[in-house]
Amino acid sequence: MNELDKKSLFEAYNERTHLFGRIACAITLVMLIGAPFVMGAYLGAMPDLAAVGRGFLACGIVWMVSCVAEYLVYTPMLGAGGGYLAFITGNLINMKIPCAMNARDMVDAKTGTPENEIISTLSIATSSLVTIVVLACGVVALIPLQPVLQSPVLQPAFDNVVPALFGAMAYKYYRGNMKIAVLPLLTMALLFVLVPSLTGSTSFMVLPSGAIAIGVAFLLHKKGSAK
Amino acid sequence: MTILSQLNSPVMYLICGGIIAFVALVCVFFMVRAWRAGVAIGMDKTKMKRAVVSSATFTVLPSVGILLGVIALAGSLGTPWPWLRLSVIGALHYETQVAEAAAEAAGLSGLNATEMTARAFTSIALLMGLCIMWGMILSIFFNKRYLKKLQTPKAGGPSSGGGFGDVAMTAMFIGLVSAYIGSYLGKFVSGEGLFTFAGPWLPLAVAAVAAAVMAVFVWLAEKKNAAWVESFSIAGSMIVAMAAAVVLNLL
Repeated sequence: MNELDKKSLFEAYNERTHLFGRIACAITLVMLIGAPFVMGAYLGAMPDLAAVGRGFLACGIVWMVSCVAEYLVYTPMLGAGGGYLAFITGNLINMKIPCAMNARDMVDAKTGTPENEIISTLSIATSSLVTIVVLACGVVALIPLQPVLQSPVLQPAFDNVVPALFGAMAYKYYRGNMKIAVLPLLTMALLFVLVPSLTGSTSFMVLPSGAIAIGVAFLLHKKGSAK
Repeated sequence: MTILSQLNSPVMYLICGGIIAFVALVCVFFMVRAWRAGVAIGMDKTKMKRAVVSSATFTVLPSVGILLGVIALAGSLGTPWPWLRLSVIGALHYETQVAEAAAEAAGLSGLNATEMTARAFTSIALLMGLCIMWGMILSIFFNKRYLKKLQTPKAGGPSSGGGFGDVAMTAMFIGLVSAYIGSYLGKFVSGEGLFTFAGPWLPLAVAAVAAAVMAVFVWLAEKKNAAWVESFSIAGSMIVAMAAAVVLNLL
């Protein structure tokens, strides 16, 4: 197969990915929003729409902004197939993004290439399936597992899953990119030390931190010294 | 019949399990398509296999952490709904916050089983869905155009498949990691008052242990030619760091 055939084959694949992705998102959306009404019919109590409206104004707007920011920032990392799957299955920051980045780096796939698109989709699909299986097994074994998982001795381990993940990822990414990492790391450390209340909004602080890192990377790239 | 036994009834499991099964099928479908497309365009099967294995090992531990989120919410919302939310669309850090806020909006003093009613539950469930659905909505309407725009090479700029795109993605990820590491430092130094160094130190220590173990894995892969450890390096680092959290907490 020559390069032209490969390109047209991949473009056809990508077109269908968007079609299937949109359909899957739309069906999931209808099911998720419809589920409370179906459950309401079973329980004999439909949702209180006025309370839902008040709640949405109180906390939904903030999350809507967060979702928009997540979409804009993470979609380029995930590609088409990975993007649709990641937004359907959730847990982006604490799982899907690091997982896709790790897989991508492991096979040295470059952004915007067919290889990157395929690896990202495989990675997110695998990750989502593993989560579904682990949670399903966990729910089946909830009663025997509960004392183990909630034992006070093991609690610090499960409270620190995300620091463990980001510690490992930090070494992996910082070691080859110290020039890019220094400024965002120092800025964030300083900000969180001086304004500790910001720790409650860490997911929002990813945006300025990322912007600083990209700015530094751009300057280094322009100078031709970025790794 | 208590509200919790209603929320844990087989019908509720059927509704939530059905949606999870659909999403699992979507994942399998996308995975098979991607694999076939990769083979068709001549990608190395070993590379694809490595991506699958590393993603699977990578995911197991965070998934156990997410299971704890299900357990935490199960006490007030029953098991099926948190199971659905954390298997599909939800996020660990998000669900508990929104469920709490939604419970207050539904007229409860907080998220608890004693005040829970069927109407409050369905309202909370709907609000949890409405708050976090925007990523999917944006994907439906803008994904194709957004990605096309990003992948179109600019005149005179670097072509796709290299150039600044890769550096920008790495930089964005470095930004993400830096924000979290910075927050652990901030909590430790000023969490209990500015520069008191009395805040929680365990997250920072766990991150440091994970980084040190990762360094060992990288050394094994690069200096000892044990490339196979790469697939397990993140999961291995996390296991050791989480075990260290248990030990350090006992000190």
